[in-house]
Amino acid sequence: MTAAGVRARLDPLLAAVLARDPAEVAAMPPSLPLLGDGLGLDSLTGMRLLAAIDREFGVDVAADDLGLDCLETIDTLSRYLAARA
Amino acid sequence: MSAVKCVVWDLDDTVWPGVAIESDAAPEPRDEVIGLLDELERRGIVCSVASRGDPAMASAVRAHPRLGGRFVAPQVGWEPKSGSILRVAETLRIGLDAIAFVDEDPFERAEVAHLLPEVLALSVPELAAAMDGERFSPGRPTGEGRQRASMYRDEERRREAEAGFAGGRAAFLRWCGMRLEIGRAGPADVDRLVELGERTHRLNSTARRHGRDDVLRWLAAGGLTRARLADRFGDSGLVGMVAVERPEAPADWEVALLAVSCRVEGRGVPAALLRRTMDEARAAGAPGLRARYRPNGRNVRVALLLRQLGFARAATEAETLVFRRPLDGELPPFPEWLEIVAG
Repeated sequence: MTAAGVRARLDPLLAAVLARDPAEVAAMPPSLPLLGDGLGLDSLTGMRLLAAIDREFGVDVAADDLGLDCLETIDTLSRYLAARA
Repeated sequence: MSAVKCVVWDLDDTVWPGVAIESDAAPEPRDEVIGLLDELERRGIVCSVASRGDPAMASAVRAHPRLGGRFVAPQVGWEPKSGSILRVAETLRIGLDAIAFVDEDPFERAEVAHLLPEVLALSVPELAAAMDGERFSPGRPTGEGRQRASMYRDEERRREAEAGFAGGRAAFLRWCGMRLEIGRAGPADVDRLVELGERTHRLNSTARRHGRDDVLRWLAAGGLTRARLADRFGDSGLVGMVAVERPEAPADWEVALLAVSCRVEGRGVPAALLRRTMDEARAAGAPGLRARYRPNGRNVRVALLLRQLGFARAATEAETLVFRRPLDGELPPFPEWLEIVAG
């Protein structure tokens, strides 16, 4: 799957866990950090995102990337999923 | 084997003899069961209900003079008891391996044992015998441990209030009036700190049992900070700790253990403890704060929290990942809904 294809499926998940407008999330730059200051994920919404990714892509991120390095930015997560999904 | 934190009871033919005929009045319970309920409460073990029948029976049990106030999050309905037990585990935020299920009917015990093998399924006499065993003796129960049942009930009221609150989660948390007292741990805190080190799973950075020796060593070195939480629903007591190795400047400080009770998950306690540690480390001249994280499949939210607070992975040592955050520039804010006081 291409990174663009992943984003099309990832953005709705991000919008759902953050309770934000999907169009707004789709317009976010790929370099935006996912956690904290960037998109604003925290440990609670982060857990929901990991569960949603597992359902949507069949990828258990936490079991595979123990330090969650792939959650750095929208781009790192998209590439990570593109390589595995 | 992990300690049992909650005993889930069947009602008909278990808590009381026979089957309740009316759903608006609970029958007289067995004296033997009342004795066990009293003893479980003394040991800080919470009780709940998973029973088949009219859902109205839950409020009849609440209204019964000898049963009222004893069961947290009771589940009475027509679904399999395994489903009810899962909901109890979810409500109390505990693992299935911390639950014992008591039912006099061997079929019901077998159903639960088959579908939820982590749950300990017992008859009443088996429970009475098991009370002498290790899984029902949580060492030396502390004040917070003994009050756990009433704190779970406060938590239940908190949840009901949140469900009826329209202003969003942050607004709800502000309305709760949460006060977090952060201060140095002292000798009087040791028993509770040991209990936290042993009982926490999801919010434990090392996924390892830390015993009394570790706590005493950290305490002697002066790098042990604890947090107490209270809000309008009640006092949750000592709910979190952070143990920090503090080498002389200009070396990084390092978090050896961050442990916070799952009961207060989602209220910003670990973020506040780490922010306070950052302040102290920066004041002491440390250029960065490190945190040791050992993943075990259950504590992934610790990694999420570290990243949320600006930590990045700096090294990997065997099964431990070392995260680091530089301390120059702006530090992540304390959760806005917490009033932080020095303790």
